[in-house]
Amino acid sequence: MCVLMPAVVSSNVQQQQIRTTINKHYNPQYRRHRGAKIIKIDLPDLTKEKDDEMSPERMRSKMKEKGLQPPRPWNERNFYISNSGGVFEPYVPPEGDGKLSAVTVEGAKQKLEFVEKKGKSMMAVRKIKSYDDDFTLQDFVQDATEIYKNAHEALMNFRTNKEKLEEFVTEKAYVEMTENAKYKTVSWKFHQSLSPPKVVHARTNSVVSKDNLFAQVTVRFHTQQSLCIYDRFGRKIYGDENLVKDVLEYVVFEKHITEQYGKWRVHHKIIPDWMPASEPIPRTYRKPEPLPDLPDTPEEEDKSSDSSTKPDVAIATA
Amino acid sequence: MSLFPKITQRLCGLPSPLSIVNASKSLSCGLHTSAWHGAKFSDDQGGRTWFLRNEKVFPPQKPGEEPRPAFVCHMRSNVRGNYKNMWYQACFVRGMTIDEALKQLSFQRKQFCADIKEVLLEAQEKAVKEQGVEFKSNLWIAESFISKGSHIKGMRRHARMRMGEIRYQYNHYYVRLEEGKPPANVYNPKPSGEEMLQEWLERMRNRYVRISF
Repeated sequence: MCVLMPAVVSSNVQQQQIRTTINKHYNPQYRRHRGAKIIKIDLPDLTKEKDDEMSPERMRSKMKEKGLQPPRPWNERNFYISNSGGVFEPYVPPEGDGKLSAVTVEGAKQKLEFVEKKGKSMMAVRKIKSYDDDFTLQDFVQDATEIYKNAHEALMNFRTNKEKLEEFVTEKAYVEMTENAKYKTVSWKFHQSLSPPKVVHARTNSVVSKDNLFAQVTVRFHTQQSLCIYDRFGRKIYGDENLVKDVLEYVVFEKHITEQYGKWRVHHKIIPDWMPASEPIPRTYRKPEPLPDLPDTPEEEDKSSDSSTKPDVAIATA
Repeated sequence: MSLFPKITQRLCGLPSPLSIVNASKSLSCGLHTSAWHGAKFSDDQGGRTWFLRNEKVFPPQKPGEEPRPAFVCHMRSNVRGNYKNMWYQACFVRGMTIDEALKQLSFQRKQFCADIKEVLLEAQEKAVKEQGVEFKSNLWIAESFISKGSHIKGMRRHARMRMGEIRYQYNHYYVRLEEGKPPANVYNPKPSGEEMLQEWLERMRNRYVRISF
């Protein structure tokens, strides 16, 4: 039944004769009748259009074709505001903080800046005390250090134990901490505090309704830490186990004070503009193509660090 | 046109194999592929654990150890074609570097090779963006295979009022790209003469004579 058709493949070097079989019937006269034997059906092309890639209009037209009604939105889920979405009036750390020696005039001044003397912060602290009688800044600072340490230790094992991290970290901070760390192994160690942690800022604010208060307190930590990050395959990509670095951080702790079971949790980390950028990961990447259509697109800077894998922990050398 | 008008008319009245199940059923499972292609394809999207391999986190390596090569697992579900024919094309790219594979696939005349090429390009992008592969050319195809998916049954007419079944097959294509240079032999290499001799000698020496003095 098959016809052996010689095919000539020409190449620069030599000509080869290749014989192939062709799926063609020897009698083309009844071609159409042979084709009519098969009942044509609409075969779906499942690789071309995927549901999640389809635009809503296309989806709608397809549903119309099939005679389906659009799905009924069933939004019966309650939502609970367990943390405020952002930071109320973020603290602006003074430039040169942590670099001045206490012996100089400026250094001494910095050391003596008490949060009690600042008006708004003082009012906020008073507000917190009205809801929590035992609240003192001295005790709070000790608790804050513990929470900070526990949060980072929980981050190391967060894949196996999510609840532990949620205990010490608000939902906003959870996303920021874990998003890039999902497929990486973090090895973090707290060595010591270089100077006692200090409360530098406090604010309270209500969310949605007036009696739903959140309190945020910013604590300044000047500590020694070591960080090492391994990628998914166990290869070291950042830092070193034995390299200890001085870290100056301003960590915002938040508590839902109007709630009976509210706890102080790490909420945000303030990275001032004057802080030197963290060490980039020694990996190259291809510069993305500039978008040709938009006239207002700024020129892409030639960065040597990969922003997608930048660690969340900002490490600064003091 | 048709020689057997009555039969074709009768057949046209039969429900299409792609008829949608009750709207209520598709809505209760949420708006997914069941709305379009019947419950058949929504349930069968290929090996469920293939993509999970991209999420496994390996423990940190010791300082002296050789770095573990990065890999990315990618697949395409429900590609239409004959399983036995597609198998050859999947085998074709095994052990090639990604660049070589893309080049070779461009010049293959089979339809599935175009699909394989797209999948390889997607996988390459994934490797660079998600799996931390630095150079996109530094990849080779470690695993490339297919598995059977659902199929749709069509019909064809035979002589003497007999009907035949046509299967429109759908298969899933899986590929795993690994970082680094491909090994010299992807399959078990044929042993050389020396090796065969050594094996023979070992077999001979391993013989044990029972009930001997």
